[in-house]
Amino acid sequence: MSVGPRAAHITPLRLTVYYAIALVWFFPLLWMISKTFTPAADILGKAKQILPTTLSTENLWAVWNNWPFARWLLNSLIVTVCAVGISMAVALFAAFSFARLQWPGRDLVFLFFLAGMFIPWEVNAIPLYFIMNSFGLLNTYPGLFLPITALPVGLFLLRQFFINIPKEVEEAARVDGCGSLSILLRIFVPMTLPALGALAIFVFLFSWNEFFWSLICLQGSKRMTVPIGLKMIMGAQNIEYGLLFGASFLAMIPSLVLFLILRQQVIRGISIAGMIK
Amino acid sequence: MMPDSKPHATGRIRARTQTAEGLLFILPYAILWLLFLFGPILYGFYISLHKWDPLAGSTFVGFKNYLGLFGDARFWNSFWVTWKYSLWVIPGIIIFGLVFALMLQAGRFPGSAVFEAVLFFPYLLNVSIISILWKLMLDPDVGVISQALRSLGVTELALLNDESWVIPMVALTTVWWLMGYRMILFRAALASIPDEFYEAAAIDGATPLRRFISITLPLLKPTLLFVFVVTTVGGMRTFGQIILMTAGGPGTSSEVLAYYMYKLGFEFLQFGKAAAVGFILFAMIFGVSALLFFVFRLESHLK
Repeated sequence: MSVGPRAAHITPLRLTVYYAIALVWFFPLLWMISKTFTPAADILGKAKQILPTTLSTENLWAVWNNWPFARWLLNSLIVTVCAVGISMAVALFAAFSFARLQWPGRDLVFLFFLAGMFIPWEVNAIPLYFIMNSFGLLNTYPGLFLPITALPVGLFLLRQFFINIPKEVEEAARVDGCGSLSILLRIFVPMTLPALGALAIFVFLFSWNEFFWSLICLQGSKRMTVPIGLKMIMGAQNIEYGLLFGASFLAMIPSLVLFLILRQQVIRGISIAGMIK
Repeated sequence: MMPDSKPHATGRIRARTQTAEGLLFILPYAILWLLFLFGPILYGFYISLHKWDPLAGSTFVGFKNYLGLFGDARFWNSFWVTWKYSLWVIPGIIIFGLVFALMLQAGRFPGSAVFEAVLFFPYLLNVSIISILWKLMLDPDVGVISQALRSLGVTELALLNDESWVIPMVALTTVWWLMGYRMILFRAALASIPDEFYEAAAIDGATPLRRFISITLPLLKPTLLFVFVVTTVGGMRTFGQIILMTAGGPGTSSEVLAYYMYKLGFEFLQFGKAAAVGFILFAMIFGVSALLFFVFRLESHLK
């Protein structure tokens, strides 16, 4: 086991073990990709074979033609964009207020807001169902994204970053006649872009993958998101293996593309904002 | 951080504008927080004190729902199933996460970025994808795990239909899915340990195991504790994998608390009782998280 300084030499044997482990860990996804491109009949008929004998895209077309997959993607995207935009906007203003404006009771109110971190997402689903019902927001986009915008993680993260901005920066701007709004938007926002990016990625992934609340909020509607759509496919009458492989493969693509493009930022975003999952 | 303005007229005006601005700035978030985060937990408690029937009208029953649950074998079953499951998931996630982080700490090796990326990637997938995938891998007819077991001579292949195997299998799925985030946290904590510590220990002739126990482990303690609590809370909240992979079965042998809550509400339409399960879950999770903060505070006081 490696417990030495970072420059330690790694033997070829150890390197081989590392690669083998990575391969084993990734194997489920490789197997899924392989079966996705196996003709539907061969999935059951040649179950023992790991690689397909003939390549086929019929499983992907079976999903695309029989289920409104594109619509699910669009719904997920709309919900996620709204969740990210609104939670960033409200958290920016609230965090600025808690970090930089003086008002009585401020720190107490902040603690109170922060306590919301301890409220488990799933537990709120039943009361939320009745609240959303009374607002007429079940089976709607706002019904899906509004609860996500209430998560305190952004507020907590941004306040932390704002507090670390030197006071002189703000005072100089105030002397020049800038109000709080322009200090926030012209000075603080540009100075905390990495934190904002991390937060955006975190909320994006949270919303994109959200399952429990979506399941309750969407009772068989046209607003279905990708995770809920996949559950529909799983629950369909006949088990069609090809369809299941194709659907999970298609659902994986957006996450894979995002990860390939923004790997560093995704890992960073998850590690600094991921405390609540 | 007190206002730096002196108590003359302009100072007072500035203080008053700051108060007005301060409140205005938090208003949008405060509304969302009240309606969709804090309000629901209070409302959930209110619901749990009723025989809840939104159509015919609800009746107040006090703590009857809670008392009913405490005498309900199915509730206790889900309570123990949740812990049984957590007992697999918590050590699984922590051990794998720590071991992989230690491998990465050993230094940049050819492909170390890919190694990290590959181990982390499953964390980015939604619960439906991972549930479909592992259900298929465990499928007696097409699953690669079943095929492998068959070639080893195993004949009982429906592991998700087996009372003693269903929990370990869902736990395995979860470890595979969520380990990456913990690995990243551990790796960040390991990276912050100065090389000099190890160098000094090596000069003193400390063995690798000794270095791990005397340097790595103590410095890793806060992160370990944090990961432990996050993972425990995560275990208590488990829902998606269960509804998708097993639907609580076979029988009720994988019916965890969150899934029992869901069933009580949306299948049996006993919303009062479901809200009571939710509130118990909340109390458990709040308790564990508060404990974390207490221990962390204690930790920082000791330094």
